[in-house]
Amino acid sequence: MNTDKTSLTFARIHVLAIATLFGLVGITTQAQAKTDVPTALPPSPLFGALSFSQQMLRFEEFAVNPLPAPDVTTEKSLPVPFGCDDGSNSSAMDDFLGKPLWPAPTRLSNVTLPNPWADMISDCIFTTITGVIEGRPPGEAFSHQRWTELGPQVYFETATGGARKNTGLRDEDQSHAYAVGEFGPTISGQENETGLYNRVGGPLDPPGTTNGIEVRFHPKMPIQQSNSLWTFEDGTFPPKLLPVRYGVSTLMRHYNGLPINVSANNGFGEHTLTTHEHNGHQPGESDGYAGAYFFPGQYYDNRWPLQLAGYDSININASDPRASTPCSPGETLMFNGVEKTCDPVTGTINIRGDWHEIMSTHWFHDHMIDATAQNVYKGSVAMMNYYSGIDRGKEGFRCEYDDPDNVNLCLPSGTALDWGNRDYDIQLLIADKAWDIGGQLDFVPLNTNGFLGDRMTVNWLYDPYFDVRARQYRFRILDGSVSRFFKIAIVREFNDTSSGDFPGPTGSNKSYSRIPFHLIANDGNIMEHSVLFPNAQSNDLPIMGVAERHDIIIDFSQFPVGTKLYMVNTLTFDNGRGPKDIIPLAAILSGAFTPMIDGNDWSEDPAVGKFLEFRVQAYSGTDLSMNPADYEVGKKMMIPLVEFTDAELAAAKHRTFKFGRGGGNNSDGNPIPWTISTDGGEKRTSDLNVVSAAPETMGGGVEIWHLKNGGGGWAHPVHIHFEEGQYLSRGDTVFGVDVNRTPPQWEIGARKDIYRLSDLGRELGIPDSSMNIDVAIRFREFAGTYVEHCHNTQHEDTAMLLRWDNEHPGQTVRMPTPRPGWNGVTYDSTTELATIKSGHLAAAASFVVPNQLTADLNWDGRVNLSDFSIFRSMFGKPGLWSGNINEDAVVNLRDFGLFRREFGKGNGLAPALLNPLP
Amino acid sequence: MNRTDRYTAPWVAITAVLLWGMHSAIAAPAGADYFPNVPLVNQDGETLHFYDDVIKGKVVAINFMFTSCGDICPLETAKLRDIQTMLGDHVGKNVFMYSITVDPDRDTPAVLKAYREKFKVGPGWQFLTGKIEDIDRIRKKLAMYNEDGDELSDHSINFVLGNEKTGQWLKRTPFDVPEAIVSVLLERLQTHSLMASNSRQSYTEVRALPSVGNGKNLFLSRCTTCHTMGQGDKLGPDLLGVVSRRDRQWLTRWLKEPEVMLKEKDPLAIALLDQYNNIPMPNLKLKSTDISDLIEYMQEEERRVNATPKSLLPQPYKLQSIIKNTAETTASSE
Repeated sequence: MNTDKTSLTFARIHVLAIATLFGLVGITTQAQAKTDVPTALPPSPLFGALSFSQQMLRFEEFAVNPLPAPDVTTEKSLPVPFGCDDGSNSSAMDDFLGKPLWPAPTRLSNVTLPNPWADMISDCIFTTITGVIEGRPPGEAFSHQRWTELGPQVYFETATGGARKNTGLRDEDQSHAYAVGEFGPTISGQENETGLYNRVGGPLDPPGTTNGIEVRFHPKMPIQQSNSLWTFEDGTFPPKLLPVRYGVSTLMRHYNGLPINVSANNGFGEHTLTTHEHNGHQPGESDGYAGAYFFPGQYYDNRWPLQLAGYDSININASDPRASTPCSPGETLMFNGVEKTCDPVTGTINIRGDWHEIMSTHWFHDHMIDATAQNVYKGSVAMMNYYSGIDRGKEGFRCEYDDPDNVNLCLPSGTALDWGNRDYDIQLLIADKAWDIGGQLDFVPLNTNGFLGDRMTVNWLYDPYFDVRARQYRFRILDGSVSRFFKIAIVREFNDTSSGDFPGPTGSNKSYSRIPFHLIANDGNIMEHSVLFPNAQSNDLPIMGVAERHDIIIDFSQFPVGTKLYMVNTLTFDNGRGPKDIIPLAAILSGAFTPMIDGNDWSEDPAVGKFLEFRVQAYSGTDLSMNPADYEVGKKMMIPLVEFTDAELAAAKHRTFKFGRGGGNNSDGNPIPWTISTDGGEKRTSDLNVVSAAPETMGGGVEIWHLKNGGGGWAHPVHIHFEEGQYLSRGDTVFGVDVNRTPPQWEIGARKDIYRLSDLGRELGIPDSSMNIDVAIRFREFAGTYVEHCHNTQHEDTAMLLRWDNEHPGQTVRMPTPRPGWNGVTYDSTTELATIKSGHLAAAASFVVPNQLTADLNWDGRVNLSDFSIFRSMFGKPGLWSGNINEDAVVNLRDFGLFRREFGKGNGLAPALLNPLP
Repeated sequence: MNRTDRYTAPWVAITAVLLWGMHSAIAAPAGADYFPNVPLVNQDGETLHFYDDVIKGKVVAINFMFTSCGDICPLETAKLRDIQTMLGDHVGKNVFMYSITVDPDRDTPAVLKAYREKFKVGPGWQFLTGKIEDIDRIRKKLAMYNEDGDELSDHSINFVLGNEKTGQWLKRTPFDVPEAIVSVLLERLQTHSLMASNSRQSYTEVRALPSVGNGKNLFLSRCTTCHTMGQGDKLGPDLLGVVSRRDRQWLTRWLKEPEVMLKEKDPLAIALLDQYNNIPMPNLKLKSTDISDLIEYMQEEERRVNATPKSLLPQPYKLQSIIKNTAETTASSE
């Protein structure tokens, strides 16, 4: 530490001298930045840290517990900060969070108790307030919907707070308790084998605990100050994971433990919070509405029912075993007031709803109006795994590959626990960051193009390595950036120049080859079919926009122990507008593309290159996970797509949202701010008092949303809250005419919540880039106020966001607009666009429903003889083969009848593009 | 080869920062080292330095405009005037409003002063001019500079709401529901302390707004800044009865291309310009269907008002936004 300080001082003096001598020269030769990365900041120093010299952190689980009995009344109060610039008293926080929930959650927001920090707040803001303990807006508007029926069974408490050292508070609450599988000191059944993930921080850290883990990007880099980085779980690393089970309604009590003074933030971040469970089928009051934020000292109860979409209309007697939740033998859970016991044979309890809607990989993050980018960048991000009968996180247990009557897909996970094993199921939160010369996280809020960092982090660490067993792994990859998209190549390294397809740098004696892997889930939703990469449409993982998730399976057993593999980002940016180009993998690996610091700027985008290293370790266990190749197109199905009948699509309500620039009364082409034009109407900036669309929870249900990019070289990853959609087409507007085509394989069979609109693909022929996307969406079960926005969060924060309300049929009163303050939330009236009920009539009139082809078994957009030969090959087989069109027990003549009906038909779209890249 | 090797030692970055100081070396709210302290001149000829005098320690609302701007600026200025009215005494005390010209050659202090008087702008809202390169620097630092075009009319119609002390910087357009902007300026940017003692209002006390059609929607969002329906003149004439008063063809064209009619010296257009303080009717870029919806709404409203006993009609305009009026009317109709 001392040496660091000395050398820093020396460097300063040294540099000052140079500055004095050459300062003028420096100023006059300051060239136009080649690349504005990091955005409006100088390059981030590394403090001598080398790439791949620290172990990647695994996510730490939140402590989830059953709700305390109603007679438990141990009062507790969020520890009051020492001063106006301090967050919650962190030494008292562990004690506070260790006590059971109090007060009990209530249907209406709890406004009977004061803000526990009221005295301190009054002193700090020079106004006497009493406040209220819960920040959820009061009254019926934001009351928990269907509370009696879907009230919480379990809860977790978390406080957003400033960075601090982990004390190991949650060690015992980890499902593995650092005792079993790869998390244990030894692996049960292989007592001579050390658990690979027992030591959280690295091989030299103490075993089986997060105690002592500091908040920093690398051990050589400075520890983050408490106001530089704010995280869920009271400011601690590792990043946090919430494991949940379908049907088990979960309460998130979220405390705001941030400083009362908004300026105590090291330059960015706003201390009011609202948490969005990304893509959750959650009621509006628990969706993290951008305008329903809460204040330091308060809590906000999000209640997530975790029910399958279709709960009210499909499988309502819970008879379909594929709609189920995992459990332990003897366990009982409450469903609609009825106690159900875990089936001792299947290890599941059936639940209501449509099993085609099962979701898997989610995340939650702050959604503060105008400040989402800064707050998420600053640490308000956690991931969330949904476990179901199909995706239960236990391999080798009643696997579908053994018997098609079994529902468990047996994705790579582990075997020690009844559900939720994470031995071989890994979260990868990828994000670009920047820090100042002191090593503290840095950001410039005053930009609208978008913000780019110059350093890649995985699970918050700079360029880490990760030990893997020589077996199959599932990776749940999330793009957690503000504005950056990724296109990730996965390569193995050879220790010679001839074995690999791509030579390493001259003299390195290395070469590299792409490895095969399977994509199994898109945006956290398990797809109908796995997609093998490389393939004819893409060599590498598809582009990931901000907030997109890709779950992949890599089989490390194909490599010798000791092999190193890398994830390599190939997508380059100059500024936050959108991706600029794909750098050929060969140029990156050979060193021909090498970002250098050129004066105050990077010569090239330094986020391009290797950012994660895998090191293959010996595996002596038995890999019981499924073979993803069995589920490729033309073979078995994992989760077939949700069905939209032709009649539903023909009767659907249409809405058009055009994401562009220019606003108010401005003529087209007028710049900034970001705007959205709804249903052909005027371009509007975000205005939370205005409802732009109002679908209804029942009745019509299906809507077709046309998402369009207004152009100008900008990329917009559009996110619609509450319901995921299925692509009808991708397309571009050419001379005013929409030309639609078949999306690529990984989008045809997917359910999405991020719709990436970008024209990067025009020149490159990238099949999943286009300016228009048509999606079909269904709105069910819950009402409330939601938003739709660009997930380039700097675009979102500068007005590319609109409010839409899901309304009950016949609802006459618009939801009021909350206006939060220290003393609680008041309401404004709400206004609306004229088209919120009609939708876009012109789009409806001109829309041609693409033919839906359930018999297009090879996904080429036509039902022809090649589909027939696939069909014939699976005829008579039991289980969900793609030829099992009616999804009954076996591929039979009934399916053939359905097949024959579509024979010869096309979907009416242009074929998908093939990627001509090397 | 390790990726880090070919990068840099920390001191390179330090050099960079010290030499060019793009941004504060240590993360902190954007302050003196971020914003240029360039001199600007207000409508009274007084010199104000951008950092020290205009924004330092203040909650500010800043927009960029130019007085010869034909279409968008007058409406923008009029909208801001509404907001200023709603802010009341807070302007010049808790909130500082600035309009900075992007056409300083033409917009001298005297021109700005006349413009300010024309729009009956109250005290506490200053109009600023200066050197174009200084103004461009300010725009760039506020991320209000459009690198894609340098036409004057391309200037950003956003305005910046900020608190220099806390480092909060938000963007809005003047066309948002004015209450939302006022709440940002008087609550969020004041650490929510100015209005903290406000009492809570429950959902049941909130009334739904009547469902509005396209015509009324357009009238509320585009016209009410300068006009009323039956509550007297504002910046422009009271529009009650305008549909019967004017030839339909003339009115349609006036809504479609007022600037052309003014250029052609249409006698009625010129008369209106003279009558209303030389504030031209702006081109609202309305589609023909919007114009017919708007005319239909104004006609219906005329019928409705004529059929309503005088005592039941709202009081004359009281410097409040129509939207607020509507809300209050709805609430009090209980």
